[in-house]
Amino acid sequence: MAHSLVSVIDDDVSVRESLPDLLRMLGYDAEAFASADEFLASGSVGQTDCLLLDIAMPGMSGPDLQSELTLKGQDIPIIYITGCGDTTTRVRMLKNGAAECLYKPFSDGALVKALNSVFGKRNNS
Amino acid sequence: MTDSAYAECPLPLDNSIPDDGAASLDSIVCTDELHKRPSREPEHQKENAALAALVVALADSPSTILQTLADKVLDVLSADSAGLSLLTKDGKRFYWAAIAGAWGPHIGGGTPRNFGPCGDVLDRNIPMLFTHWEWRYPYLGAALPLAEEGLLVPFHVNGRAVGTIWAIAHNVERKFDAEDLRLLQSMGRFASVAYQTVESIEELKLEVAAREKAEASLRELAGSLEQQVLARTEQLRFSESRWKRIFDNSAIGIAAVDRNGRFEMANSAFQRMIGFTEEELKEKSYIDITAPDFRAFNVSLMAELLEGKRDQFNIEKQCRRKDGRLIWVRNNVSLLPGADGVPHNAMSIVEDISERKAAEESLQQTQARLSHAAEIATAAELSASIAHELNQPLSGIITNASTCLRMLDADPPNTDGARETALRTIRDGNRASEVIARLRALFSKKNVKSECVDLNEAVREVIALSSSRLRKDQVALQVSFANDLPYINGNRVQLQQVILNLLQNASDAMSAVNDRRRRLVIRTERHEHDGVRLSVQDVGVGFDPDVANRLFETFFTTKNGGMGVGLSVSRSIIEDHGGRLWAAPNKGPGATFGFCIPQQTADITFESMRPLELSSVATAL
Repeated sequence: MAHSLVSVIDDDVSVRESLPDLLRMLGYDAEAFASADEFLASGSVGQTDCLLLDIAMPGMSGPDLQSELTLKGQDIPIIYITGCGDTTTRVRMLKNGAAECLYKPFSDGALVKALNSVFGKRNNS
Repeated sequence: MTDSAYAECPLPLDNSIPDDGAASLDSIVCTDELHKRPSREPEHQKENAALAALVVALADSPSTILQTLADKVLDVLSADSAGLSLLTKDGKRFYWAAIAGAWGPHIGGGTPRNFGPCGDVLDRNIPMLFTHWEWRYPYLGAALPLAEEGLLVPFHVNGRAVGTIWAIAHNVERKFDAEDLRLLQSMGRFASVAYQTVESIEELKLEVAAREKAEASLRELAGSLEQQVLARTEQLRFSESRWKRIFDNSAIGIAAVDRNGRFEMANSAFQRMIGFTEEELKEKSYIDITAPDFRAFNVSLMAELLEGKRDQFNIEKQCRRKDGRLIWVRNNVSLLPGADGVPHNAMSIVEDISERKAAEESLQQTQARLSHAAEIATAAELSASIAHELNQPLSGIITNASTCLRMLDADPPNTDGARETALRTIRDGNRASEVIARLRALFSKKNVKSECVDLNEAVREVIALSSSRLRKDQVALQVSFANDLPYINGNRVQLQQVILNLLQNASDAMSAVNDRRRRLVIRTERHEHDGVRLSVQDVGVGFDPDVANRLFETFFTTKNGGMGVGLSVSRSIIEDHGGRLWAAPNKGPGATFGFCIPQQTADITFESMRPLELSSVATAL
């Protein structure tokens, strides 16, 4: 059975190491990239069903990548994950079309809830 | 013919007989005739009356005695002209000092000493009778009417012949006789007295003239003095009136108090400012209207003024108006010298600065709010940075732990995967701990600069920064700098934070002090061989010896609104410099806080993490 592909883009190695395993445990395929450029350069852009995207990164930021993808007509649902945001950050991101915005560190429950909202599932644990 | 004609007469210089065959002396002298002629009867009564009149004249009007004498001679001898010739002081001429009768107009004229009848009389020192002397002395031909006969008698002063007294007959019928000679000789004796009188009068006149001249210059001086006095008075009056106008109409308050501080006068601007009338103020002293917080300081300044220790002083203080409202005023107080040169009053120029103060305070509040906001912003920035740094590994830890649990809960459990994620959890935990270590590093030596510090200069900068606050708190700062102070290795900014903290503590400790001058002494000294020592001495409330050992503990405070971090942070800074922060009660009121720092050869490392450095960490992150 073909699983949905969730791509993780974060400059922090801890996140890149930990999230893909959890995503696989949740029944998704997962890939991790250290930067937006790395992701764009990979062949995964067209296959990705959902992005777990860090906001603040060296080089291209999360929102920069979002704009870039919109320009390319790649309408991939985005769940932002941020380590330094405040409440206004989430509101801003949702307003700009993000599916969700999670503050690090987030629980697996919060992640599941966000993914469910993207993939239209309920109680998928 | 005028008498000026005589002055123009060419006067022979000797008694040589002129070449034109002028008559000899003998031909004009007929003295012997006097005794040959029948002598008329003496008129003793007339003579006595004349002499009596002369004596009276001598007493009453001595300056005209010679003329009176001539008049009397004319009268007594029934001559046509009569007069007196006096030898000039240089002895070269005779001048006609007084003339009565027909020759009256010739008064002031005269004859040469050696070529004239008077000279002849004086040479022979006998009375002589001349007839038509113009035959021998042609210049006398100009003196009209011509003399038919002239009788001359010499008179003497102190045995010296000084002149002649004479009578002239212009009428050929009038012949002088022995009685005339006797009368003229009698009058001649009187002439001597008259002459001396006149002479002394002349001397007196000279003296008087000199005295008058002196008096005149004195009068002039006095006049000019008087003028000066007048001008000065006018000036004073003007300045007084000007002063009065200024006093009354000035928009600035002006008040004068006596030595006891009681109001003596107050202009209307001051009355408006303070709400009391001048009459009400006269019942008060300046202390009464001064707000309690400012009284002691104001009184001490006034005392120094009255003791002559200062010429004037300025004070910004609060005053209580009659309606109870507090106003801010700026006073410039100086002494008013009294008439005796001793000052009895102090004059104060008073300006209402309430508005300025309100603006200043609102500015200060704004600044305080801004600086507080900046602190909060800095703290927020810092905490965000720290959060970001820590949230990454924490995120990994939580995600890994969740994954681990899910792997263990799976059927069958994925123990290999669980082990793998558990190992990653440990690794993320170590990463978090590395972040903490990195933060610690940022808080410490990387960011702390050690440099050569001139303690005096550092103190000066702190004083410059706090001077407005110290002034506001009415602290009299006294500085004593050692001029042989060695430089020390250290962090100048941190040391200045300590100094600032000590200054503010000292100032705060004196805020309740109103019965003495709020004196603050800051002193630098050499410590041991090559270290430095700084002390800050106040006359404030001091500290309870029981709490002395807790003074430097974090969050220990004796101040209302104090955080209790200043001294503990200060102590850690000083200890990082290898020094010691200390406190000691004064013998008198107040306490002395200070530190000593020894000279250090090696660079100092600053290990402890303290809140004072938050801002530098924030920018570094």
